[in-house]
Amino acid sequence: MDTREKVIQELDKRYNRLVGTSATNLCTHCGWCIESCHIFKATGNPEHSPVAKAEKVRRVLKRKHDWLSRLFPKWTGAKDLTESDLDEWIEAAFKNCTLCERCVINCPMGVETPQILATARGVLTAMGKSPEILNQLTDAAIAREENMEMMEGFFRKQIANLEKQVQERMNDSNARIPVSEEADILYVPLSGAHTMVPAALIFNAAKANWTMSLFEASNYGVFVADIPKAKKVVERVLKEAKKVKAKTLVVTECGHAYGVLKWEAPKWFGKQFDFEVKSLLEVMNDYIQEGKIVLDPSKNSEPVTYHDPCNIGRKGGIFEEPRNVIQASSKEYKEMTPSKVENFCCGGGSGMVACSEWTEDRLLYGTVKVEQIKKTNAKKVVTACDNCLHQIKELGEKNNLNISVSNVSEHLANALVFS
Amino acid sequence: MSTINIEKVLDLKGLLCPIPVVKISNAIKEIEPGNVIEATATDPGVMMDIPAWCASTGNELDSMEEAGGVITFRVKRLK
Ligand code: SF4
Ligand code: SF4
Repeated sequence: MDTREKVIQELDKRYNRLVGTSATNLCTHCGWCIESCHIFKATGNPEHSPVAKAEKVRRVLKRKHDWLSRLFPKWTGAKDLTESDLDEWIEAAFKNCTLCERCVINCPMGVETPQILATARGVLTAMGKSPEILNQLTDAAIAREENMEMMEGFFRKQIANLEKQVQERMNDSNARIPVSEEADILYVPLSGAHTMVPAALIFNAAKANWTMSLFEASNYGVFVADIPKAKKVVERVLKEAKKVKAKTLVVTECGHAYGVLKWEAPKWFGKQFDFEVKSLLEVMNDYIQEGKIVLDPSKNSEPVTYHDPCNIGRKGGIFEEPRNVIQASSKEYKEMTPSKVENFCCGGGSGMVACSEWTEDRLLYGTVKVEQIKKTNAKKVVTACDNCLHQIKELGEKNNLNISVSNVSEHLANALVFS
Repeated sequence: MSTINIEKVLDLKGLLCPIPVVKISNAIKEIEPGNVIEATATDPGVMMDIPAWCASTGNELDSMEEAGGVITFRVKRLK
C-alpha cells in the first residue's frame, strides 16, 4: 500500500458525523472565524486562519466524501492527496493550531475546525509523522506503570520529602500524603511538586479522606490523537481508583487531563465510572463554600487575574469555581477581557509547550495573551493548567511583564490559615 | 570497572516537568552512543519522569541521587 492509500485509509477510520459535516459543505468561507484565532491575530498570516488550516484537510476529504467534489473537484477546490500535503498538515494541525475551539464558537455554522485538525493529527501519528517528543511522553507514561516496581521506590522517596514540607508549613507532624491507600478521594497530580504540595495542604486542612495517585494525570496520547495509547494511560488510574475504592477522582489543575478523564474516557470505555470525576478547582470551591478551610486573603495582596485554560473553561465548562477560589483568597481580583468562553488561548496548548523546535512560534502565538495580561494591570496571573503555566511564565519573562504566575491551588494554599 | 564518559552536563534546576524530559530528549541526540549526560534538577517530578522516559526510549539511567532538594542523574545513550 502506498503512502497515499494508507493516509486515505487512516482518514476513513476517523471519519465520523462531526468531521464529515464540518469537512464537506458546512463551511461557507464567510471568514468570521479568522479574527477569532490567536495564532492568526499574532502573525497576520492568512495561512494561519482557521478556515485556511481546515481547508488543507477538508479539500482531501471533500474529494472522497462530497458528491459535487467527486464530479467537479475544480469547482469546489477539492484535490487528491499528495505527499507534500502531509508536511502542510503537520504545520496546520500541530504547529499552527492549539485545538482551543475559539473559532468554533465564533463560526455561525458551527464548523468544527479543531476536530478536522485533530483528525489530521491522528492520521499523521499513524503515519509516524507526529512530533517525536509527544509520542515519547505518551510512551513514558505507559512505561511508568510497566516498570512500577522500580518507579514506586522513586515516587515514595519523593513523596516522603514533600510530606515533610507539608508538615513544616502546617506546623503539624500528623499531616500526611498517603499514597495509593484506600480512601474516598483519589487525587491525581502531575509530576511536579507544585501540583502535590498545595493540594496536600488543602486536603489536610479540610481533613479530607484522600490519597495521592501513583500516576500523573497528563496524557500526551490525546495530543497525538493516539486513542489506543491514551486509553492505556487512563486505564492505569481507573485500576487504581478501583483498588483504593475511590468515590471521587479528583484531577489536578491540568486542562487536557480534566477533559480526558471527565468527558473523553467514559466515551472511550463506553461506560460511566463507579466514581465521580471532579477538578481540583471544584473541590477547592466546595471546601470554601462548606467552611472546611479558613483563608486570609491579605496573604495574597497583589492584584491578581485569572487565565481560563481552554480545556477547563470553553471545553470543560468550569468558569466560576476558580474565580470564587481566587477571590476568596486574594485582596484584589482583576478580570481579563475577553474571558470565560471567549478567552484567548495562551498559545501553549495541545502539546506546543513540549515541542521545543517551535518555541519561537509558540511565544509569538502568545502575543494576544500578553496584551490581555498587560491591560489588567495585575501583578500575578493565576491559571489552572500546566501548559498555560509554562507558557505564561515564559511570556512574562520574554516580554518583561513583571508578573508572577502560579496555579490556583498554590495561590489558595498561600492564603490558608492552619488551626 | 567501566569508565563513564560524561559528554554533556545540563542544569535543569528550576524547570518543571515535562521540560526536563524535553531537554534530555534533545540532548541525547547530540551525544555519542555509550556516552552520558549528567544533569541536575529541582523538580521532584524528574524522579519518576526520567526513569520512565529511559525505560520507554531504550536509554539507561546510570544513577539518580537527591541531596538538599537537588536531584542529580546520569543518562547513558545506548543506541
Ligand atoms: S469555519 Fe465557519 S466562520 Fe470560518 S469561514 Fe467557515 S463558515 Fe465561516
Ligand atoms: S482551534 Fe484555536 S488555534 Fe485552532 S484554528 Fe481554531 S482558534 Fe485557531
